[in-house]
Amino acid sequence: MLSQAVVKRLKEIVGERNVVTDKVGLLTYGYDGTLLSGEALGVVSPTTTEQVVEIVKLMNEQDIKLVPRGAGTNESGGTIPSAKSVVISFTKMTKIHEIDTENFVAVVEPGVINFDLQVELAKKNFYFPPDPSSFKASTIGGNLGECSGGPKCFKYGVTRDYMLGLEVVLPNGKVIQTGGRNFQSEPGYDLTRIIVGSEGILGLVTKVFVRILPIPRAKKTMLALYDKVEDASQTVADIVAAGIIPTTLELMDNLLINTTEDFTHAGLPRDAGAVLIIEVDGYPEDMDGQVKTIGEIASKIAKEFKVAQTAVEVDQIWTSRRSAFGSVARVRPSYGVNDITVPRSNFPKAIGGVLKVAKDFGVTIGVVAHAGDGNLHPLILFDQRNKEETETVHAAEQALCMMALDLEGTISGEHGIGLVKKKYLDKEFTPAAMEAFRKIKRSFDPSNRFNPGKIIDL
Amino acid sequence: MGVLADVYEMLNTCNKCGGCHTACKTYKLTGSEEMSTRGRIQLIKAVADGKLEPNEEYEDAIMSCLLCGECAVTCPNGVHGNELVMAARRDLKLRKGIKPFAKSFALKTLASPKRLGMGFRLFGGMGKSVLNKIDGLDYFRGIDIKNFPTAKKPFLEQVPEKIKVQNPKHKVGFYVGCFLNHSLDQTAHSVVKVLAKNDCEVIIPKDQVCCGLPQYCYGDYETAKTNARKTIDTFLDKYSDAEVVLTACASCGSMLRHDYLKLFADEPSYLPKVKLFCDKVVEFSEYMAKIGVDQSKLHNSSPLTVTYHDPCHMVRGLKATKQPRELLQMIPRVDYKEMFEANRCCGAAGLIQAFYHEVSTDITDQKTQNIKDTNADLVATSCPACMLRLQGGINKAGQKQKVMHVADVMANAYED
Repeated sequence: MLSQAVVKRLKEIVGERNVVTDKVGLLTYGYDGTLLSGEALGVVSPTTTEQVVEIVKLMNEQDIKLVPRGAGTNESGGTIPSAKSVVISFTKMTKIHEIDTENFVAVVEPGVINFDLQVELAKKNFYFPPDPSSFKASTIGGNLGECSGGPKCFKYGVTRDYMLGLEVVLPNGKVIQTGGRNFQSEPGYDLTRIIVGSEGILGLVTKVFVRILPIPRAKKTMLALYDKVEDASQTVADIVAAGIIPTTLELMDNLLINTTEDFTHAGLPRDAGAVLIIEVDGYPEDMDGQVKTIGEIASKIAKEFKVAQTAVEVDQIWTSRRSAFGSVARVRPSYGVNDITVPRSNFPKAIGGVLKVAKDFGVTIGVVAHAGDGNLHPLILFDQRNKEETETVHAAEQALCMMALDLEGTISGEHGIGLVKKKYLDKEFTPAAMEAFRKIKRSFDPSNRFNPGKIIDL
Repeated sequence: MGVLADVYEMLNTCNKCGGCHTACKTYKLTGSEEMSTRGRIQLIKAVADGKLEPNEEYEDAIMSCLLCGECAVTCPNGVHGNELVMAARRDLKLRKGIKPFAKSFALKTLASPKRLGMGFRLFGGMGKSVLNKIDGLDYFRGIDIKNFPTAKKPFLEQVPEKIKVQNPKHKVGFYVGCFLNHSLDQTAHSVVKVLAKNDCEVIIPKDQVCCGLPQYCYGDYETAKTNARKTIDTFLDKYSDAEVVLTACASCGSMLRHDYLKLFADEPSYLPKVKLFCDKVVEFSEYMAKIGVDQSKLHNSSPLTVTYHDPCHMVRGLKATKQPRELLQMIPRVDYKEMFEANRCCGAAGLIQAFYHEVSTDITDQKTQNIKDTNADLVATSCPACMLRLQGGINKAGQKQKVMHVADVMANAYED
């Protein structure tokens, strides 16, 4: 429990209502999108950088750990409170400081919800390309902490590629700014890129300079339907091999088609083995040519290829895709999500590997994938209340990670390491590389104040 | 435990993806997880699992839910957060009764026509004259009380039991509801006028009572059932010649058509009668759209920009969104403008506006801004509670728009 004196000082810093210490409040900040949970000593929600600084100083003085948190939608346990920690929640830092369409920059606070930023940008005919499936709920701070991807990654890259600069409160309470409005990186180390994806273990981001783009003038959304998921993966490899870069190449298998269809009624055929959602964007005059080429490649294997005709149809397709994770509890109440990623050319092999793991371990796996960038999300479905089944699922998850590494891939494409994948990290990196990770953490945060126990143990 | 055990599988189906965050206005405006659907569900689950003893903070989390139902349509897993909150409220009621204020107001006053009538008359007379003398007290918890309309005499005492027309094509039973009876009696008159202009004979039972929704929402199923039974029996036994039971209050409509079935699920012998009743229930705009309105009889001399607010019980309860918009656009010289988030809660949410006024005021302010952005002269809607809340919010913001029921807008378009 926090001492009354500390609670009093926290309340002096952020105001009475922005400090939570009761059991009910703590319970709701103890979970994220995973099956893990923990309990913090308190939750504090700052509204300014100055308040963040004061909180950090107080926590240093009192030797209490700090766990940063956005919307808590992450899939890796990165925001689960560690022992004797205070959660610092950024959901009340929601200002959009500036949208600068001349320089293609927006300046926002970390608690701004990705979707809310998109709404404001759209008014000026701009957008922010990284759009993880959780974008309607997740925050920019969370997106950068995990270095989220999204359906548009194939063509446009991940969150890291859209971070121009950050204002960061360091564990010693000092504030630095990395990068800024300039497109060219600053001289010296690229500190921005060290912070992005560091899951809050190095610094607390209080202001973000993001790169924004004008909304493309035209786009086309296509669906290719397959008997088997392996067939769909072959089209992915073929499209990539042909040197075409669609905005999006998303794959869903039969299980996900059915669970999402239960929710959206988008009209995806329930008997299809897999569907590829393919989107291209650019100038209107480019559309027909791209659609034609992709159609020719897909039709070699696909049993059906079609182009969405209306905006409503496109919306429904995307609602289906974005609700894939959420919808699987219709089948089983718990799921373990993985985000293994392999080089694109190995994608068909990775799909084969997932099917093999499902068979070997006798588990139900639904496959959804950002196929274009080789990022797979095998969702293992089970019931957490069944202990034996849960252990089998953990074993299957490990097998998936090993399979990805065998294919020269990585254990995590975009969800971060957090707690869930920590145990596999040294399978991907050599002892020397692991030590480099630790040294960077120690140089930023010698007393292991920020989000301790996530990514690596010191 | 029984109530929560019944919904346990649904509680367990929430996999905490957070997708509901976007649907939950109390979360969006506070940034507090315990004010989100996901937070509420996890708290209810903790109580069901015996890990949390219901305390004051838990009650706040459960009672501050707007029950707007947006989370239920947003959840990819089909988890109905609003129904889980209802179960939690029922569970709380069975454990420890209901908060004193909710008890005296929701249960006793609304349930009894006599008390309700007296309350409104006292407020309209003495209450308002006292209020007018207190400087600065224009708004009580965000509610525009000085401008809160009260009927001089309840609508039910102003009209005969049967309103006849020359060539009756339909016979309509009118379920008036508390708000139209005691506060917005002019709207009740508008309903009757529009029905009569469209050759409907209107039957208005004098002994009708509160539909029971307020009590139901606070877990008092017993009182809700008493009122529901009375309503069903009145319309089906004494006024069985009415082809439909029409209401101009979306909240009453949703209760009468859908929630009565849930309420009596444990009484199989009575259930067939309930079903018969529920099938007869129709909301004003639904009915007018169904029987068809003769557009040539509608007149309007000056241009009017109109927007429409979907009450929660209209869009997610009765699932009627097209009809009111179509009716409004039938009126000559009406320029219809859709507002941003027209289908989101206005902040009234029953008693939430009184109990959790800070968050509900923020919700209303947002709605008021969305209305302003349309440049509309007039906001039409289908629920008296929304009408009062919206007009209060608009007045408070210093805006000029007038809020009216769809029935009022239509009634104005008929020549007397």
